Amino acid sequence: MKKSALLYTLALFLGMKTTFAQNQAAATPQSKPIALTGATIHTAAGPVIENGVIVFDKGVITKVGPAGTAYDKTGTETIDVTGKHVFPGLIAPANQLGLVEIEAVRATVDQQEVGAINPHVRALIAYNTDSELIPTVRGNGVLITQVTPVGEIISGMSSIMNLDGWNWEDAVLKKDDGVHLNWVGYFKREFNFETFSSTTKKNDKKEEQIRELAQLFDDATAYAQIKNPNPINVKLEAMKGLFDGTKKLYISADYGKEIIEAVQFAKSKGVKSVVIIGGEESLLAADFLRDNNVPVIVSGTHRLPNSIDDDTDLPYKLPQLLAQKGVTVGLAYIGMHWRTRNLPFLAGTVAGHGMSKDDALKLVTINNAKILGIDKYVGSLEVGKQATLVVSQGDLLDMRSAKVEHAFIQGKKIDLDDKQKRLYKKYSEKYGTK
Amino acid sequence: MKKILYTFINIIMFGTVLRAQTTTFPRNGVQDERPNTYAFVNATIVSDANTVLEGATLVIKGSVIEAVGKNITLPAGTQVIDLKGKRIYPSLVEAYSSYGMPELKREGRSFRGDPQFESKKQGAYNWNQAVLPEVNAAAIYASNPTAADELRKAGFGAAITHVQDGIVRGTSALVALIDGRDQEALLKTNVSANYSLSKGSSTQDYPNSLMGSVALLRQTYLDADWYKKSKNHTEYNISLESFNNSQSVPQVFEVSDKLGILRANKIGKEFGVNYIIKGGGDEYQRLDEVKAAGVSLIIPLNFPTTPDVEDPFDAGVVSLSDMKHWEMAPANPAILAKAGIPFAITTSNVRSKSDFWANLRKAVEYGLDEKVALAALTSVPAQFNKVDNLVGSLKPGMLANFLITSDNLFKESNVIYENWVKGKRYVVNNMNITDMRASYDLSVAGKSGLKLNVTGKVDKPEFQIQVSDSVKVSPKVTRTGDLLTLSFKLDAKKDKGDTRISAYYDGKNIKGDGFDAAGTPVKFDAIFKEAFKEAVAKADTTKKPVPTIGKIVYPFNGYGAETKPKAETLLIKNATVWTNEKDGILKNTDVLLKDGKIAQVGKNLSATGAKVVDGTGKHLTNGIFDEHSHIALLSVNEGSQSVTAEVRMEDVVNSEDVNIYRQLAGGVTSSQLLHGSANCIGGQSAIVKLKWGEAPEVMKIQNADGYIKFALGENVKQANWGDRARIRFPQTRMGVEQIMMDAFLRAKEYDKAWAEYNKAANKATLTPPRRDLELDALSEILNKKRFITCHSYVQSEINMLLKVADSLGFKVNTFTHILEGYKVADKMKAHGASGSTFADWWAYKMEVKEAIPFNAALMTKVGINTSINSDDAEMARRLNQEAAKTVMYGGLTEEEAWKLVTLNPAKMMHLDNRLGSIKAGKDADVVLWNENPLSVYAKPEKTIIEGAVYFDIEKDKELRANIAAERNRLIQKMLNSKASGAPTARPEMRKPRLFVCNSLGGLTEEEGETRAFGTLQLQDNCDK
Repeated sequence: MKKSALLYTLALFLGMKTTFAQNQAAATPQSKPIALTGATIHTAAGPVIENGVIVFDKGVITKVGPAGTAYDKTGTETIDVTGKHVFPGLIAPANQLGLVEIEAVRATVDQQEVGAINPHVRALIAYNTDSELIPTVRGNGVLITQVTPVGEIISGMSSIMNLDGWNWEDAVLKKDDGVHLNWVGYFKREFNFETFSSTTKKNDKKEEQIRELAQLFDDATAYAQIKNPNPINVKLEAMKGLFDGTKKLYISADYGKEIIEAVQFAKSKGVKSVVIIGGEESLLAADFLRDNNVPVIVSGTHRLPNSIDDDTDLPYKLPQLLAQKGVTVGLAYIGMHWRTRNLPFLAGTVAGHGMSKDDALKLVTINNAKILGIDKYVGSLEVGKQATLVVSQGDLLDMRSAKVEHAFIQGKKIDLDDKQKRLYKKYSEKYGTK
Repeated sequence: MKKILYTFINIIMFGTVLRAQTTTFPRNGVQDERPNTYAFVNATIVSDANTVLEGATLVIKGSVIEAVGKNITLPAGTQVIDLKGKRIYPSLVEAYSSYGMPELKREGRSFRGDPQFESKKQGAYNWNQAVLPEVNAAAIYASNPTAADELRKAGFGAAITHVQDGIVRGTSALVALIDGRDQEALLKTNVSANYSLSKGSSTQDYPNSLMGSVALLRQTYLDADWYKKSKNHTEYNISLESFNNSQSVPQVFEVSDKLGILRANKIGKEFGVNYIIKGGGDEYQRLDEVKAAGVSLIIPLNFPTTPDVEDPFDAGVVSLSDMKHWEMAPANPAILAKAGIPFAITTSNVRSKSDFWANLRKAVEYGLDEKVALAALTSVPAQFNKVDNLVGSLKPGMLANFLITSDNLFKESNVIYENWVKGKRYVVNNMNITDMRASYDLSVAGKSGLKLNVTGKVDKPEFQIQVSDSVKVSPKVTRTGDLLTLSFKLDAKKDKGDTRISAYYDGKNIKGDGFDAAGTPVKFDAIFKEAFKEAVAKADTTKKPVPTIGKIVYPFNGYGAETKPKAETLLIKNATVWTNEKDGILKNTDVLLKDGKIAQVGKNLSATGAKVVDGTGKHLTNGIFDEHSHIALLSVNEGSQSVTAEVRMEDVVNSEDVNIYRQLAGGVTSSQLLHGSANCIGGQSAIVKLKWGEAPEVMKIQNADGYIKFALGENVKQANWGDRARIRFPQTRMGVEQIMMDAFLRAKEYDKAWAEYNKAANKATLTPPRRDLELDALSEILNKKRFITCHSYVQSEINMLLKVADSLGFKVNTFTHILEGYKVADKMKAHGASGSTFADWWAYKMEVKEAIPFNAALMTKVGINTSINSDDAEMARRLNQEAAKTVMYGGLTEEEAWKLVTLNPAKMMHLDNRLGSIKAGKDADVVLWNENPLSVYAKPEKTIIEGAVYFDIEKDKELRANIAAERNRLIQKMLNSKASGAPTARPEMRKPRLFVCNSLGGLTEEEGETRAFGTLQLQDNCDK
């Protein structure tokens, strides 16, 4: 007993001297009002406020205004952030952060269940709050993620998570917010072993696949009408919310025709709220999307154009082109979990190719919030919303000046340390470099 | 029944005649030699493409031509055939064929199966299953009557044929397209030696890349030479012996596209061989280079089918280059002819032989001179293959291979009547068919006053019974010689069934008997009334205008240009100049570019004749140098063996890759195109400038030091390749060390062996050591002539290679990726290694678990020459952003950050004397940015290489508009083509080969390539 106590003390001592291997603790709830003063406040709601004041208490924003905005200073922790910039915490939709640790190591991957139709599978359950990746993503200003399973046709249900918490129950912001459907491809890719080339051809099996899908939605509709179903079908149970609007249907589709077909399908099946994810070729269906009031979450725009003939910068300017057409556009980093920390720079690149910086910021804040249905709580810096925000030394969307100095999730002060910073520190000490 | 029997007897008798001529064979019955002398008189004889004799005579005796000309005395016993109004041509020669060769069986190469390291071919042959010089087409030729008939109908009389399988394919044979004994058909053996870079049916792993194929071919040349010089053979190698024996005949190389021509020609030049190259039909797309190569070509007429572009969304998948090729491919032969490039035409790659003629006429319509076309199908293939004493023209002593045609061979209405091959008559269309066409007075079943009109073509007459002025009936007619079977209803309403007649033509009238619907016998009498008047053919003299086609652009896609960029004298005024020199970042500074070099840097410069570029508010920097790139390559990994130092990426540079242009738009001007990381010692790098529009050879940086890719860790030990990849050594980092040690120990011994040989006094009596391209490359490393870029991740393996290098006395020039470089930075510094890393990549595999984005900054601070690279076609166009991340992670100064993608990689590549900073005398490789290049908002406005503007944001706008306009023009043309009845194909997109390192998606391009090439498996990411 004594011996182990000694070891424990020793470990603590060593821990202080060097570093812990584990992630730091989850943040403690906001205990007193906090005021940030002197910064440029990018509210993503109204105009940028120079030299502004933002105050929040019990996790909620109580004041936002220009210098001199009055607030009760007693008991308030005022942090002088003069010359710095305040942004809403960035939101990363359709993401696998927390489900995947090391892509190539199967044991650390919890993103895809067996089977083509899995509406009942819940990403929330596997969301690992102890992932070593989460702090590195948070450190660049991304504070909210939509943890999303991947799969064949219906991959499962996503949930919206704060990037802080002891466990998934703590971290969840919105549980089981929607079902994810990968639309049946209009084209399919084939590899020809004779010519060593791949071709994109029409998918001949499409109609059959859509018929099967139609049957599923019809069955789900019928099931939803039964008051006390016996037996209970967990798949159809999971789809209920699609028809009363409590859940969104997120459809991954890239090609113009797929998008039109998928949206029309969903509407004809009585789905109340549809979101398109991906949308690489959504420009072809932009008017349709606007007229049908369907938003698009454009996926990782740091990609190559799909066609040789496309404008070289087409992916970079796609959000702007869609916005110009009147489509509600969000922005996501799909697929590369660790790369989510570059979400601000996706938006920055969009701004470099025609969109205003303010609108580009909205892509990854208020627009994503609106599209995910969480704009009541987060996505902009407005009184009454949650205090989920970031303070950066400079422009958060530009790696040349971005440096996150403070982050708050629901008013909780986030420890911005992460494994990579610890390793940096450890080896800087080894070499005596600064 | 009787008729069938008769035909049967006919065949037997004909067969007997044939056999009688093969003199070594025993005879069943009596000798049956026939006179076999024929004279074809009154013909228009096209004896070769340039010689036409009107009213001339051709005399043949047996299988040989006796005489061609006028006033020829015919020997007694000559059978005379009058060809008045008809023409004689030499039968065509198929230049590139596998006629009569066994059908190739492609054994399914199992994906994720066990590796096959050695050949499965049994016997004393080459170690590699794709090197088959011993294959002798003559020895395995067996006639194929169906294929021969098809070729004869298309006008061919002889074919040069070989087994189209493997990289070294053995020798071809010249065969006559006759049925009967193979001994007669075979005309000449050992006609040409054949090559390709496709391993064909070989199931062996090596080579599984294009550059591996090139390396294997090179090594085969060297091995054969060594074998020849060997005094004491340690092995008897039939393949190498055959290879040596086949070097004196014409050497023919099959490639699939225009770049393949340049590649094959380059290989040929290395070994003093001028290949005749069988191309892919897109030669016009690199016309200048193909012409400069000075090669002879064999070209196919494989014109693309019209893509169906009716649906505007679907049309989006068809690229402008495919559209342009659809438009221009038919002009390829004409363009080559105009450029003076000698070529033969082959039927290969064309779907059917009838398509061949349609396409040949189309080529003529698109401007190919008929004489050139005829030569390309007769004398040229004969000369290429040195068989012009046998076939290809009509001269005494040559084989009696000729065509009898109704007209000019190239005319659409022309009919090939007969194709005589080796003096044997093959009737394609009966030229002696009776002309029944006329107008007749007809009486049927006692009904008179009717008319029978026979019109149409001689061989395809059309029959019509005119019952009255308003009632016309078309009877169903079957014709057998002069016998006719007719069935008809004279009154469609009343007649309950057909009246059936069996009739004959007596030279003037048509008479017959039969029954009507009721079974009553009826008579059919058609009495000649009036001769048939052929509609006068439309004036054919007005030649159709040659269709207008688009322009050739370099390279052949929407972002190509008609003229390649040229160096200009440019004066950039008043810019913020990032010099990367002691001066640092200079504001309001001018830079003069002249003759491809930076001429002057300073204030208020002026230069006569210079084009002034206003740089106010803009930033001028060096072009970005990407130390680790896989764009512009046709293949990346030769992953079949653990050491493949012999492969060269410069053999597979793809100058047509649109990513070159896209990266210019991101400010990249130079790249090291690296081999992948599938094995411990990979291939030699291609170090290029992104000279968009130029051919691969021009892109290469001249006199750059050679580099080679090494790799360590998970990829080379196949950690993520699935459970079946457990056979290739090494499977652990322990094994990697041993592979490295062993490779260099062998290289040292090799060096020693050569040194001893070279200084030996009695050299002439010694067998030289065997040249080994793999050991050559390793020896170059030991001798500081080649430098290592090593893919590496974790500290233990980095440390290992440093120790291996130190113990054997070589240097590791660069560690690439080097994500744990920060852990051993002190050791790297002591060794003098550089580090080329990612800005922030991690967590994609186990060995990058401890990667940190501070790596570049930390290595820099320790004093290592550090760079940031892309390893990714997309990220490369944002390397400025990646460099900027080192300001955020680790706090480098902006100048330091910028050097990570410019000066530092130039130093790593030993090119900092020419590249990497803005200083008078260095190459004018610069980029003008709209703002600070490290900003996420920065965009290049001009990207300049050696003073030539390769990307210009204003020009780019024009190109985009032009792409849209050209697409629209071609889509309209395709729609018209479809409307006029051309067959169409569903639009499909051929994906440009991309070697992005996406570790998530399904089958990556590289994986696909590996599956296609062999049994070896690859990880699902190409390099990272």
